[in-house]
Amino acid sequence: MDISELVASALRMSVPILLTALGAVYTERAGVVNIGLEGMMIAGTFWGAVGAYYYGPLAGVLLGMLAGMALALIHAVVSVTFKINQIVSGVALNILAAGLTRFLCIQFFSMATTSPEVHPFKAWSIPLLDRLSFLKPMVTGVSPLIIVALLLVPVTHFVLNRTVFGLRLRSVGENPLAADTLGVNVALMQYLGVLISGALAGLAGTYLAVEHTAMYIEGMTQGRGFIALAAMIFGNWAPVGAMWASFLFGLSEAVSFRVVATKIPYQFIKMIPYLVTLAVLAGIVRRATPPAADGIPYERGGE
Amino acid sequence: MSETITSPAGRSAAQTPPTPAPARHWRFRVLPADPQARRFFWWQLATPFVAIIFASFIGSLIMLAIGKNPLTVYAEMFAFSFGRIDSVATILFRATPLIFAGLACAISFRVNLFNIGVEGQYLIGAVFASIVGFGLKGLPAYIHLPLVIIAAMVGGVLWAWLPAYLRVKRGVHEVISTIMMNYIAFSLMHWLIADVFLDKTQVVGAGGMGSPRVRMPIIQPSARIPTMHGFFAHLGINFPAYVYVNWLLFVGIALAAVLYYVIWRTPYGYEIRAVAQNPDAAEAAGIDARRQMFRTFLISGAIAGLVGLSDLLAFFGYLDIDFPRGRGFDGIAVALLGKNDPFGVILGALLFGFLSRGAEGVQVFAGVPAEVITIIQGVMILSIVVAYEIVTRYIRIQKKKEAQ
Amino acid sequence: MTRTTEAEIVKLEGISKRFPGVLANDRVDLTVQAGEIHAIVGENGAGKSTLMKILYGLYRPDAGAIYLRGQRQSIDSPGRAVALGIGMVHQHFMLIPAFTVTENVILGHEPSRAYLDLKRVGARVAELCQRYGFSLDPGARVATLSVGEQQRVEILKVLYRGADVLILDEPTAVLVPQEVSELFANLRALKAAGKTIIFISHKLDEVLEIADRVSVLRQGRMVGTVEAARTDKRSLAEMMVGRPVLFNLAKPNVTPGEVLLEVDGLTVPGRGARPVVNGVSFKVRAGEVYGIAGVEGNGQAELIEAIMGLRAASRGAVRLQGQPVTGLPPGELRRRGLAFIPEDRHKRGLVLPMTIWENLILGFQREPGFSRPSGLHLNAIMSHSDQLRRRFDIRLSRLENPVLALSGGNQQKVILARELSHDPRVIIASQPSRGLDIGATEFVHQQILEAKGARKAVLLVSADLEEVMSLSDRIGVIYNGEIVAELAGDQATPQELGLYMTGGKGKAGEGVPA
Repeated sequence: MDISELVASALRMSVPILLTALGAVYTERAGVVNIGLEGMMIAGTFWGAVGAYYYGPLAGVLLGMLAGMALALIHAVVSVTFKINQIVSGVALNILAAGLTRFLCIQFFSMATTSPEVHPFKAWSIPLLDRLSFLKPMVTGVSPLIIVALLLVPVTHFVLNRTVFGLRLRSVGENPLAADTLGVNVALMQYLGVLISGALAGLAGTYLAVEHTAMYIEGMTQGRGFIALAAMIFGNWAPVGAMWASFLFGLSEAVSFRVVATKIPYQFIKMIPYLVTLAVLAGIVRRATPPAADGIPYERGGE
Repeated sequence: MSETITSPAGRSAAQTPPTPAPARHWRFRVLPADPQARRFFWWQLATPFVAIIFASFIGSLIMLAIGKNPLTVYAEMFAFSFGRIDSVATILFRATPLIFAGLACAISFRVNLFNIGVEGQYLIGAVFASIVGFGLKGLPAYIHLPLVIIAAMVGGVLWAWLPAYLRVKRGVHEVISTIMMNYIAFSLMHWLIADVFLDKTQVVGAGGMGSPRVRMPIIQPSARIPTMHGFFAHLGINFPAYVYVNWLLFVGIALAAVLYYVIWRTPYGYEIRAVAQNPDAAEAAGIDARRQMFRTFLISGAIAGLVGLSDLLAFFGYLDIDFPRGRGFDGIAVALLGKNDPFGVILGALLFGFLSRGAEGVQVFAGVPAEVITIIQGVMILSIVVAYEIVTRYIRIQKKKEAQ
Repeated sequence: MTRTTEAEIVKLEGISKRFPGVLANDRVDLTVQAGEIHAIVGENGAGKSTLMKILYGLYRPDAGAIYLRGQRQSIDSPGRAVALGIGMVHQHFMLIPAFTVTENVILGHEPSRAYLDLKRVGARVAELCQRYGFSLDPGARVATLSVGEQQRVEILKVLYRGADVLILDEPTAVLVPQEVSELFANLRALKAAGKTIIFISHKLDEVLEIADRVSVLRQGRMVGTVEAARTDKRSLAEMMVGRPVLFNLAKPNVTPGEVLLEVDGLTVPGRGARPVVNGVSFKVRAGEVYGIAGVEGNGQAELIEAIMGLRAASRGAVRLQGQPVTGLPPGELRRRGLAFIPEDRHKRGLVLPMTIWENLILGFQREPGFSRPSGLHLNAIMSHSDQLRRRFDIRLSRLENPVLALSGGNQQKVILARELSHDPRVIIASQPSRGLDIGATEFVHQQILEAKGARKAVLLVSADLEEVMSLSDRIGVIYNGEIVAELAGDQATPQELGLYMTGGKGKAGEGVPA
């Protein structure tokens, strides 16, 4: 097993999880639980493929993010304005996204479960580093979206901790009552958090379809939207932590593809990412500190 | 404002002479007696219908977008679903697993636990059932079949145990843990069917064509569920033989009745309702919320295990890797539609059966893809929960106004 | 239109405010001079918080006018109040523990639209701290701060927004004496810098120490304003508390028997450094009513929760009929003969959406009489419920109606009926007549006295002095989490009790000079 190959593969596999986990950070820090990220990713896989098929990869990215945001808007309206239970809303959205996508796939491509091949972005190579043989697999043939994903980590950190928007967003997730009395628009912050998460989940889906497999395949997300939530929890609701957690999950996926010639049946290898998630949740959650008002619909009560 | 000496409240309880108790007639009452409460009851009953109409409206828009007339489509759907006897049978057949799935989800939702893992639990239940079904030979049906059913429930409980434990002991959110268990179940089931219990005794089709199915061995006849055709024939309804409406339908309805009784008429049901509606008061009253939640989760898993039995024991007769999926998510929808009430679940399951059959009909006869119906289902779930929430909040405001 | 001058920085004239069922403020007049520390005192429910919330724009008055610096103002939101230079430090902090001091101070009032230069802002916060003598580290996370320091952050928030008038709502409620001194030093510094401070409290010795003038509210009305230097605790307590006793019920003559409930050195940790219940001890005998008098927020609620097993105690013991029961769950206590009438009946006493009969068996649903292996024994439950309905005169139309349809008084009767009908030996009644009208209150008192007559032990906790005095054989006054005095029921006077309740005297044992 070539280590650098493995690492490169792990990096590639972690991107969809990383992007979605970053999105999850935005929404949960604003206090809204978004179980529907899987559905938003699904929307991103399909619409990314559609955009890329007709107009090229950039259009795919835009369309995929918009699709994710559209679903996110529904979630925001239902959860923030109507204060419906956020889990129920998310689960319903996942079901809706799956059905809608299948239907549209037939409409667009006359096939139910896949799209025709699409063209990904031109791959990049980092000029100097690709001379080093052990770095080569990691820095050649790199999709620009991987760079974008990695850059989003410090960007998210900056936005959350060093901007007025980030301060207000976080305050809403911690103590919406206090934020409200101080003049912060709680609903607006929650809407924005949810919409950003939808956009990033859509982008993650687009990456999967356009860059990773160069086509849309039904069910290709494989639960990554939920794994991303676990990554966020493991990363303690912070962008850098979510990044390392996503690498871990990406690694487990990369390993599961490579371990072929062992005595362990391949079905068990396939289970690795999910088992790791469970282990993480079981072991880690004790110490993790979610935003104090996460998942609780805020209602301005009192006289 | 106040009555002082003449107030009956001032009379001490010891001074009131005990009047002979009038015979207390306890009647099972569906409608609330108080007229205002009765209004609220009708509103709440109407909400799923409103949501269904809204979802149909959305579906109509989609149909228009692809150039079909919604009215003819719906007419076709109704005609196809109710006009043919095989459709009615199909609806009943398809509703059967959904009843179990809906009941499993409903009882867990009642204690504010979201058992999304019904999907995995029923597959593992089917695995266990299949193993007991083909593995035990020479048993009479009245022993074998119950054993298979018990095995299915055991499978479901087993698969629900870990998320339940993690939730109660470590606060792990059961949504993510159950979804992980689902994915693990898919892989595990695949391995068990394709590698461990693969039926190698299969005879390949005549002329060397065809390939062996990836499946477990065929289940013994003593473990199969008999169909209900004979029963319905007595009622004058003759279902076609190729639709396998079976006695699990009856079991499902009976189970719903049992659950209804348990929820409303047993101490356990009382306690879980109290915990869900006011955990503080329940705590002060000495009810152990965590234990009851754990127990309920396991019960949910046990019921979930039964979801696959109708397909497995009445239709297929063996477990293969293409065993139907997605029933768990449908169960969530059915539970929400039925407002977590056992009899509502039955109605919701029938509705989904109707939609699924209708989807086939419109696909063939009206050229509308079946996915439109799936979309309607998704929209229906969302609109139901929104509609319920709006109505509940409105009622709450009305009640507050009254109390002033 | 009255004339008002600039020196009167805040003038409230004829303020009235009514809430459903209660007149919180009744034509209140209040004048605050610029640069003074003005205290507003009164019992719970006297209307102090309501009045200040009107000034801060959280409520609109039904009648009356507000003048600031001689100008009439309409304050319809906290935003408006802040713009006018009024700031409020709430009793329950509106802080975000995960954020730093600086982040908490600037939230909602950030100096820029996008980028947050925390260094520059932190420097400004540090400068404010310097100017008013607050010793706070702007970069510290609020969760790590002591309660006193957190309060200073709240004051900083108000100062950062340019307040000239600071309203502090019960600021010393959560502070230990050391922190109170620090707070007062800060307040004096603020006064020296020209700020005006309005200080709501019920703790008279602290009020006399820090305030220039004191206004007393009683049952929604302004009793009067006096200069702190010219009055004393006794007079203030009398103004706060004195009112005629409404009714006198006949108390059964019972000699107390054995000790049924004993609390021994019970200590319950609180939010800050000071435990919220601090070494409380008392005994309640059979046939005796022991009343705990005190202004709400002095630890009574936590004390009861600790006894009931709903809250963990860090030290001490509780004994029921001689058996140690400390920390046992509520179900177990009930089984051993303890009945509980909670102070918040909607939160702890009833499941509102459930029917009346279901609430009548709450906690007893597994009793052999009410349940069989096949399920709830409805006939037995319904006839039992019917009996309770008659015995306790619960006004209802049907037992199957949800309990939230009942009036407050009848809801309380449901709780009483349930708890008293299972022949408990010890009854804990916490604020049992809160929110009830005269008739219902009388009924509740009747039940308590009957329980006493039946040789049960009753622990009564109430903020209502009349209630405590008319029902109790012995009265323990709780203040700051400690029992500061124990008096005989028929010998205590409202003035004396009021004094103890507001921290006037020392511990039990100090006599009252005539």
